[in-house]
Amino acid sequence: MSKYLIKRIIRGLISVVIVVMAVMLLVYNAVDKTKIFMMDPLIQKKNNNDKISYRYQCWEDYGYLNYVPYSDWLSEEVEKGNIDAATRDEAVKIGKTAEEDSELVAKYVKQFTEYYESQGYIVGRLDPVLQSNKSLAKGGSQRIFAYKNVPIIVRMFKYFTGIVSIDNIHYAKGEVEGKRGLTFTLHDPAYGGEKFSPAIMGNGTKYRYLLYFDNKFPYIHQNLITISLGVSYTINKGIDVWDTMIQPQGSIVKTQTIYPTGFVEDSANDMHTLKYSEGSRDLGGLFTKTRYTDDYTIAVTEKNGLSKMGYSFIIGIIASLIAYMLGIPIGLLMSRYQDKWFDKIGTAYIIFIIAVPSLAYIFMFRAIGIMNGWPITFDGSPTAYILPIVSLALPSIGGLMRWSRRYLIDQKNSDYVKFARSGGLSEGEIFRKHILKNAMIIIVHGIPGTILGSLVGAIITERVYTVPGTGGMLVNAIMAYDNSAIVGVAMFYALLSVTSLILGDVLMATIDPRISFTSKGR
Amino acid sequence: MQNEQLVDLKETGLSEEELFAHYDNNLYESEKVTAPRYSYWKSVFRVFFKKKLNIVFLVFLAIVIIFAYIYPLITGYFFNAEVMYNINAADNTAKHLLPADAIQKFGFSLRWILGTGDVGQSTFDALWYGSSISVSLAFMCAIINMTIGILLGAIWGFSKKVDIVMTEVYNVIGNIPYTLIIMVFVQILSPSFWTMVFALTVTGWLAIAYFIRTQVIVIRDREYNLASRCLGTSIFRLTIKNILPFMTSVIVTLAAAEIPSYISYEVYLSYIGLGISDMTLGRIIQQTQSFMAVPQWGFEYWSPIIMSSIITIILYVVGQNLGDASDPKTHM
Repeated sequence: MSKYLIKRIIRGLISVVIVVMAVMLLVYNAVDKTKIFMMDPLIQKKNNNDKISYRYQCWEDYGYLNYVPYSDWLSEEVEKGNIDAATRDEAVKIGKTAEEDSELVAKYVKQFTEYYESQGYIVGRLDPVLQSNKSLAKGGSQRIFAYKNVPIIVRMFKYFTGIVSIDNIHYAKGEVEGKRGLTFTLHDPAYGGEKFSPAIMGNGTKYRYLLYFDNKFPYIHQNLITISLGVSYTINKGIDVWDTMIQPQGSIVKTQTIYPTGFVEDSANDMHTLKYSEGSRDLGGLFTKTRYTDDYTIAVTEKNGLSKMGYSFIIGIIASLIAYMLGIPIGLLMSRYQDKWFDKIGTAYIIFIIAVPSLAYIFMFRAIGIMNGWPITFDGSPTAYILPIVSLALPSIGGLMRWSRRYLIDQKNSDYVKFARSGGLSEGEIFRKHILKNAMIIIVHGIPGTILGSLVGAIITERVYTVPGTGGMLVNAIMAYDNSAIVGVAMFYALLSVTSLILGDVLMATIDPRISFTSKGR
Repeated sequence: MQNEQLVDLKETGLSEEELFAHYDNNLYESEKVTAPRYSYWKSVFRVFFKKKLNIVFLVFLAIVIIFAYIYPLITGYFFNAEVMYNINAADNTAKHLLPADAIQKFGFSLRWILGTGDVGQSTFDALWYGSSISVSLAFMCAIINMTIGILLGAIWGFSKKVDIVMTEVYNVIGNIPYTLIIMVFVQILSPSFWTMVFALTVTGWLAIAYFIRTQVIVIRDREYNLASRCLGTSIFRLTIKNILPFMTSVIVTLAAAEIPSYISYEVYLSYIGLGISDMTLGRIIQQTQSFMAVPQWGFEYWSPIIMSSIITIILYVVGQNLGDASDPKTHM
């Protein structure tokens, strides 16, 4: 069994890798890369050469290519100490055409070209765009740059190695105040340093708190291992897809906060989420200086709502529970009273659910909800959950009714049931002890998928009732050409579906001793 | 050598009474039974038409097909949909009319029984034109997906080597979100009818092929097929004569569920803003969804929803019952 499981998990992971590769090929290579500017208001304001370099800049941000302007390279060289600042200021003044370059400029341009061409880059030079009166057109100044398309293998390698990152004390690149290292404390300073609350804190790490306790479920939290699925570029700029899914939403909640300097204030900043950002303490001026002792100044704000995943999960899980609690008993009764009026009404309902477009019946349920006075736009209040849950549960009830009825009727006509009947068992006994047990095996198979599937959310239901869940993330990412977010969400979906299939098989094998995954057993 | 023993009857010189005996019509012999004539498709239709409900639904289906494919010829939508749609655009009093008001304004005609829409178009005409595109899309996708799915599914089920490869392919492609594939194709190519067909069929056949594969595997190893193979029947003949008759009802039932599902899918994609540029049912729903909240205009929104539901239910019920009827077990 365990050998089989390991094999299954490895195969599942390979399939996830292939899915990510296929999605990357689709979004980066198949879709025309100029399409990402279709909804960009900034590009309309750019002209001539400005527009071209803006495009390359965006393509770099979206992950299509590596882009290096000549001036950036010069600045880098200054930082490395290869050239001094005065030379840089001279060398940056490129001529209108290559012939008009001064000797110094020509030397560095040649160096730049040779360096990047040797690395497979393409070096481009844009001549100035002139107006009719020979003056420079808007955004038309000359420029030199190098670019290189990112090959899919490199992109995939970077993606997969970046998914799980473990925090370490060498994360902070610049000078760190105090000694780098981990400290264990029994009295968390975020609570004033007197209350007993153990925590592991780091200096030089990405996060200040690596392990801590607080009053929120599950009470113990960690920042040591972070997951990143891909940083969004448009839909939630600069934030990772994973964080977008799990960070709380809603309006901010202010509580009494004790800052590292001992300064006390009503603030929404959560001191346990402090993150390192180089030079941020000096940059923030007096505000940060009175509150923070070092460069750990970036904190997540506390909010009163749930995360995207939280909303989707609550709605999905309650809907699935209702579906299982109603769907299976109804399917059971339908098979018991086969071809009677109860079965016929149930069948009509199943046909309705299968045949009618899901959008149509969701709107029908919505209309019924309006008649009952239930809120139709989601605001987080308990009654606002009713309609999304009902809209999700009713179709799954139909599906479960259909399958449980089908399986139960098939079982009813099988030989072992006829044998049991001839053996003198009562109908109820046959039903409970034999038919039900066998029919449930297949139904149980879908349970992990249902639970994990509710994390993904429901696109239409969440859209119709404006639930801030995960359902719309993929659609939004695709509409905004947010490539890394698309890859992140797709990878999350693939991982969930692989996991739920494996768990479903394991659950089935646990319940039914006849099912064995090892070929030797049979 | 037996031929030599034959004799000419005339040469024997015996009378006919002596040569031939009278054979009596006897009860015992008449009890012998020969197999009745059995024609598969005749039986299918006999079973199908035995249910009165099926005839009713078939009539409904005929009405849908006539209205979807002949009515737009009469209204002119097939020739120039754009012009017909905007025919009353200049007349402000013709917009957003309830059926009663529209009939009062234009006089009674089938066209106005669902009122008018936001540019004064006849909702009834527009809906049927939209239905014709949606139904065509669904049938086109079903034909392509079913053909590829059944052919590949049969090979997949028969060959163990193909099975290993295809199962892996199925596991991988099954994990790519379907919406993502469709969206990418709609983005790459222009959002037209054939783009949508391509997007819905590019991986859509895989699920059907998998289903057929499972069915083929179940039937493939039954005893009668084993016996047939031992007697040297070719795989081709085995498929045509032994397996296909079993599969007919499965295929019809599957097609009956597939066709409405493509209509639903088109509606869903249009709603989330990934539809095609043609005037389909989904696009009409998407365009009218903002009218739902307006008290007098809600009718315009509910019409396409109800229409799509009716069409899908009719297609589904007719298909399912045809599937039931094509199962030889019901022919007794």
